[in-house]
Amino acid sequence: MERVSKTYEIVRLPGLFGRRGTEQILDVVTNFTLAVAPGEFVSVIGPSGCGKTTVLFLLAGLRDPTGGTIDVDGRPPREAVRAGVSSVIFQQPVLFEWLTTEGNVLLPLRLRDPRWWFWRGRRRGYLPTVGQLLRTVELEAFAHYYPDKLSGGMQQRVAIARALTLDPRVLLMDEPFGALDEITRDRMNLELLRLYEDRGLTIVFVTHSIEEAVFLADRVVVMSRGVSPRTRSSIVTEVRVDLPRPRQLALKEDPAFFQKVREGRAALREAQMTS
Amino acid sequence: MAREGTARPATRPRSAPRRGLPFADLGSWTVFALVAAVAWEVTSRLYDAPYLLPAPSQILRALAEDSPVVLYYAGITTQETVLGFLLGSGVALLAAMLFVWLPRVLEDFLYRIVVTLNSTPFVALASLAVVWFGLGITSKIIIAGMYTFFAVLYHTHKEFISVDPMREHLMDIYNATWLQRMLLLTLPSALPIIFTSLKGGVMAAVNGAIVGELFGAFEGLGYMILDSRYVGNTVRVFLAAVFCTLIGWVLLGIVTVAERLLLPWHVSIARERS
Repeated sequence: MERVSKTYEIVRLPGLFGRRGTEQILDVVTNFTLAVAPGEFVSVIGPSGCGKTTVLFLLAGLRDPTGGTIDVDGRPPREAVRAGVSSVIFQQPVLFEWLTTEGNVLLPLRLRDPRWWFWRGRRRGYLPTVGQLLRTVELEAFAHYYPDKLSGGMQQRVAIARALTLDPRVLLMDEPFGALDEITRDRMNLELLRLYEDRGLTIVFVTHSIEEAVFLADRVVVMSRGVSPRTRSSIVTEVRVDLPRPRQLALKEDPAFFQKVREGRAALREAQMTS
Repeated sequence: MAREGTARPATRPRSAPRRGLPFADLGSWTVFALVAAVAWEVTSRLYDAPYLLPAPSQILRALAEDSPVVLYYAGITTQETVLGFLLGSGVALLAAMLFVWLPRVLEDFLYRIVVTLNSTPFVALASLAVVWFGLGITSKIIIAGMYTFFAVLYHTHKEFISVDPMREHLMDIYNATWLQRMLLLTLPSALPIIFTSLKGGVMAAVNGAIVGELFGAFEGLGYMILDSRYVGNTVRVFLAAVFCTLIGWVLLGIVTVAERLLLPWHVSIARERS
């Protein structure tokens, strides 16, 4: 992993305490220490309800931690995401159905435009940008389609293009392909890897699929879930995936890949036992 | 994905957000009106009691005899209805925005004022409006506006506080201002329901204008209904009622056309198109 610098960590969560919601007074995640190097692809897996989404929301600055610190590129996560350093992709595409593909992708730029209310006049200036972004996700023919005319996979690609609009260096992804069928999911995984390699992104990718986690990541972080609401989730172990890049679907037939998936599964099983 | 994307190229690049046909059901409404008129004519002739149920032909004759006055009255009522509708729906939208902008305590307080006013009988408020604002059209505009306001406010407010939290998160991430959230997220997500309530609001406005005129006026269709009833002229009561219906239809049509032009993306309109 030559691209990982030893001194610099772009995402840092030393001793994090996350809270799921104000209605619950318990800390969902404790002892979560994670440092992600620039250009690293980290997958986070764990049983359902273990706080994976909470961790991602904390990294995106959408929730405040009850303790500990979070750094994204040396700043608090909310600042980082607002400065466009990091960007988030949710489980659902979260598109606005009254905007076309183009309008949805341009939303982050529109919100930053001092004359955002005069969109008819301002839109034109952004067309080269949107054209390039839509080419990146191969949706340029669908620029003027409303989301309800697009398939689930295409909608999630619009969401990815939107997340790339501000040219972030860190992508935070919360089970983005969880709702897709397996074939579409495989394609989306390859697509994501291509973006990751082309753009030199740093990615934190939450998923509950071990295979997906191993296929994509340099490192798979395994979380445990407390057996009762009082016991908390934390990182149990991690699996290094030193499989060569660029990765192709053929990798999924490789014994080395199976070996890593087996390690991941064992770690996950262990995670459920220790909790 | 590349294949998926290129397999169905957009032949007309700008054709995807194709506008719905705004006047698509004008024809079916005309047919409906004609069928209803014929059925009414036949029933009325069979029943043969013009002072109870005059036939459309008799109503048309009454219109022909007195058309300048009737059309003038219809114009007055239309004016009251339209201005009242614009006033009431505008104030309702602004009030709903104010509600979500204010801190929770004030929002609850204002909401209670609205509910209190709404549970006061409209006729009491209407007669007060005539006392306060006189017999002219001002009082009728205000009454029509009041009817519209309550028809629009509740749904709009409910929609404003029901925005999808994930979309709110998205706006958080991009550091949107209050106004950006309101105009680019809250308002557009509420528009389908706002339009539904505006359709109710149009009808409420017609009712409000007529009720206002019943409580004291010297012109307008409501005045005509009251006046004709006193002298036992049922035909003119029907004539006034038919004009009220026409006003309602036309205004509803305008709101519907506006809805189709503004919400081509909404599922109910997309369904009509396909």
